[in-house]
Amino acid sequence: MSEYAQAQNRERQQRLERVWGNLPGWGALAAVNHTTVGLRFIATGLMFFLVGGLLAMLIRTQLALPGQDIIESGLYNQLFTMHGTVMMFLFAIPVLEGLAMYLIPKMIGTRDLVFPRLSALGYFCYVFGGLIVLSSLVLEVAPDAGWFMYTPLSSATYSPGPGSDFWLLGITFVEISAISAGIELVVSILRTRAPGMSLNKMPIFCWYILAMALMIVFGFPPLILGSVLLELERAAGFVFFETAGGGDPLLWQHLFWLFGHPEVYIIFLPAAGIVSTLIPVFARHPLVGYRWIVLSIITMGFISFGLWVHHMFTVGIPHLAQAFFSVASMLVAIPTGIQIFSWLATLWQGKVVFHLPMLWIIGFLVVFVCGGLTGVMLALAPFNWQVHDTHFVVAHMHYVLVGGMLFPLVAGLYYWLPHVSGRMPSDSLGRWGFWLFFGGFNLTFLLMHLTGLLGMPRRIYTYEAGLGWDWLNLVSSVGGFIMAIGVAVIVVDIVLHFRFGKRAEQNPWGADTLEWAIPMPVNTFNFSSLPSVDTRHPMWHTPRLVESIAAGEHGLADVQALRRDIYGSDATTGKLQEVVHLPTNSWLPLMTASALAALCVSLLMKAYLLAAVFTIVALGLVLRWGWENGAHPRAAPTDHNEAGAPPLHSRTFSGPGLWGMVVGLMADGTFYASLMFGWFYLWTAAPEWTVPAHDSVTLLPMILSGLVLTVAVIAYCHLVKGLRRGFAAHLGARLWLIAALGVGHWVLLAGQLVSAPLAPTERAHDAVLVVILLYLLLHSGLAVIFTSLQAVRARLGYTAVQLPYEPVVIQPFWLYTLGVYWVSFVAFVLLSNAWSVG
Amino acid sequence: MKSSPVHPVHLFLGLAIWAAWFVVLYGGLSVGCTIAPPDSEEQAGTWINGAIVVVASLVGGYLLWCAYRCAQASSQAKLQRDNRLGVFISKTAAAVYLVSSIASLALGVPGVLLPPCV
Repeated sequence: MSEYAQAQNRERQQRLERVWGNLPGWGALAAVNHTTVGLRFIATGLMFFLVGGLLAMLIRTQLALPGQDIIESGLYNQLFTMHGTVMMFLFAIPVLEGLAMYLIPKMIGTRDLVFPRLSALGYFCYVFGGLIVLSSLVLEVAPDAGWFMYTPLSSATYSPGPGSDFWLLGITFVEISAISAGIELVVSILRTRAPGMSLNKMPIFCWYILAMALMIVFGFPPLILGSVLLELERAAGFVFFETAGGGDPLLWQHLFWLFGHPEVYIIFLPAAGIVSTLIPVFARHPLVGYRWIVLSIITMGFISFGLWVHHMFTVGIPHLAQAFFSVASMLVAIPTGIQIFSWLATLWQGKVVFHLPMLWIIGFLVVFVCGGLTGVMLALAPFNWQVHDTHFVVAHMHYVLVGGMLFPLVAGLYYWLPHVSGRMPSDSLGRWGFWLFFGGFNLTFLLMHLTGLLGMPRRIYTYEAGLGWDWLNLVSSVGGFIMAIGVAVIVVDIVLHFRFGKRAEQNPWGADTLEWAIPMPVNTFNFSSLPSVDTRHPMWHTPRLVESIAAGEHGLADVQALRRDIYGSDATTGKLQEVVHLPTNSWLPLMTASALAALCVSLLMKAYLLAAVFTIVALGLVLRWGWENGAHPRAAPTDHNEAGAPPLHSRTFSGPGLWGMVVGLMADGTFYASLMFGWFYLWTAAPEWTVPAHDSVTLLPMILSGLVLTVAVIAYCHLVKGLRRGFAAHLGARLWLIAALGVGHWVLLAGQLVSAPLAPTERAHDAVLVVILLYLLLHSGLAVIFTSLQAVRARLGYTAVQLPYEPVVIQPFWLYTLGVYWVSFVAFVLLSNAWSVG
Repeated sequence: MKSSPVHPVHLFLGLAIWAAWFVVLYGGLSVGCTIAPPDSEEQAGTWINGAIVVVASLVGGYLLWCAYRCAQASSQAKLQRDNRLGVFISKTAAAVYLVSSIASLALGVPGVLLPPCV
């Protein structure tokens, strides 16, 4: 390249940096780009890991010798509850999400995730939620009912303090973060891959993250529902889990484990993705059985939702029902086995180079296989009954979670560190860290299997001498401290490497995936030009990509209209479809998360008026956020597409926003389905389920309300159909009319909620009906607000026949609202009235 | 199975059917035991057990047929040059349907052995 061309190229890259860079100083808090947000997730997750580890050390100190009273029983309960909570909710999931957020755009050859402000909101919700939960420890009111918060122990009767509230509100806040990350990752992977990257050419890590993200979308809503119901019971006296009013404490267990078991796989899948990415690199051989691994990822993603009752084998469920879950629990071992054999085959076929990350992968294989084997043992109901709630289960869980998640995570951290810092970690310190951790871990938990088989229960703060548990606990505690030293060595290694690490050469491990085509340390826009991909191993087949990308030889090489642009592509073939313009730095995510945090704290303080105020503030901020979107001049400061370029997504009918809406509704639908599950569960299983003798809800106004809603939705669909055909006469007026119909429907429905003789504090039946009516009102209300805003935007010219994007995005929401209305009418209202008659 | 066997929906449709079958199985068992509980003396010879075995066979059989269709489609896709994506989808989908079929039948096996409501 000539000097002139080099200077031109530098200027071009500076323009990219100006558009994609973060604001300086405190302005960094307004950053939305995936590299910054992903790294923040990882760093914060690791801080929470150290807190969780500290709690574990306190637990092991207390249990080291029999009869100790270093920690009294109440505090011990708080410690083990918080250890599990911090590790599962504040470390494992967020850190893996952060890793995925950081890596996915780089692996699929793009510049950012598709909803950058959502990433930033997710991060702040996570931090604030985590701090709220942790603050309970400092205030000495931490939850103490176990990380699974079983009712009735966590209910107001047995946990009258605010500990359970801290857990329910704080963790729900963190889950909002997880779901937002899930939606973001699904849409980004499906819609913004590099041109030509069809499904069969997608890096295997992306398959894992796609499955993980979808599992988050379907897995988290049941727990959010459970938390909402339990908080309503604790704060407002509604009946859901109290047997006396027709509730059932086991409903909580179902809702919790409907989330809790898939969560294990939500944690395992990305970690396995790291393994599947690293093994081919260090074996110098393509992954053996790519298609088999894809099969096992999909299979695992589904079957892991059919296992939750194996956590409840001792609660008295009929044997046949237990057998279904036992069978499913054994089936899930098959896809895991496929992956392990595929990894072994890749190692067998290749020439393995034992760099530091590979050491952790070997550690993973050993530890995780042991955990998997005890998992199959626990899937067998009779064995499960014997060891339920003993240290055997604690040992199994740690082998699976630490083996299946932490070992690959550390391997991944070492592997991608040079990408972030441009420097190599210390090999000798790293090896010390590994062996101390590996040795300490096995010393702690291998023996714990035996402690459990000898009958030591979980969650006891002390034990008598002479039960055969003494030496086992002492050795476990020693192992725990050795493991902690190992963690300290790794932390020191990572911190020091930023200053003293050897400069890394480009693609230091000889990897095959696109993230290594980016300059190191990483910049804010990833790729100086966006490459097309026609192979699964772009860096092995075209090593020159590093230079050609930097020289701007590929797509979107220069900035257009000061926009942050990426490519949008077909979900299956990866064919180029549109230019997606992304929002730039914004304070709205921080402000919205702050308002939500204030809402959360207000609820904790039982200051409900204040909570209402913050709800309105948060809603206002979200609507403001939505306002600067689509064809708003700040989002797309041009009114035409660039000549010869694909159309801007805000001028199309199938942009990423539509995909985001649909995936969001999947999460919403799961929440609704969980509520329906609860309704039928209480009907069939609650020992004191009662139905009022009279009709709970009057049918005629409900039917009328539904018909008005139906007319509104038909009118909306007609409007969108017209837009698709290029017809948009009286667009604003028609949108106002639809909104007015929505208001009519809402008022009729609200009238039912006010006038129906429901007693939610006396009967679970009525409590569920109140929740479903509130759910329907919320959806109808939002549909009206969205449509009214569209009417205003139509007047301002942000929505028009050539700008049809936004009405198309809102259409699925109207359809969903209509769908749940009529399903609810049949399943909740008609059925309830039929029971009353019966 | 009306859509083309190389459509990506087949990558997960089999397991979605399995999941629906699982929900019907577990939910239906609870509802069946509430509405018309069979005599506990009958062991595994009840109407609920019979229904489980029949439906498991139907679901498993249907999924097996879908697996066969996708496997056939993959052989046809192979004949077309540069249709690696089609081959990938149809082969993976065939395996997904096969796994779903096995998993659906496996869920029916306890229905042969255990009484439903105790």
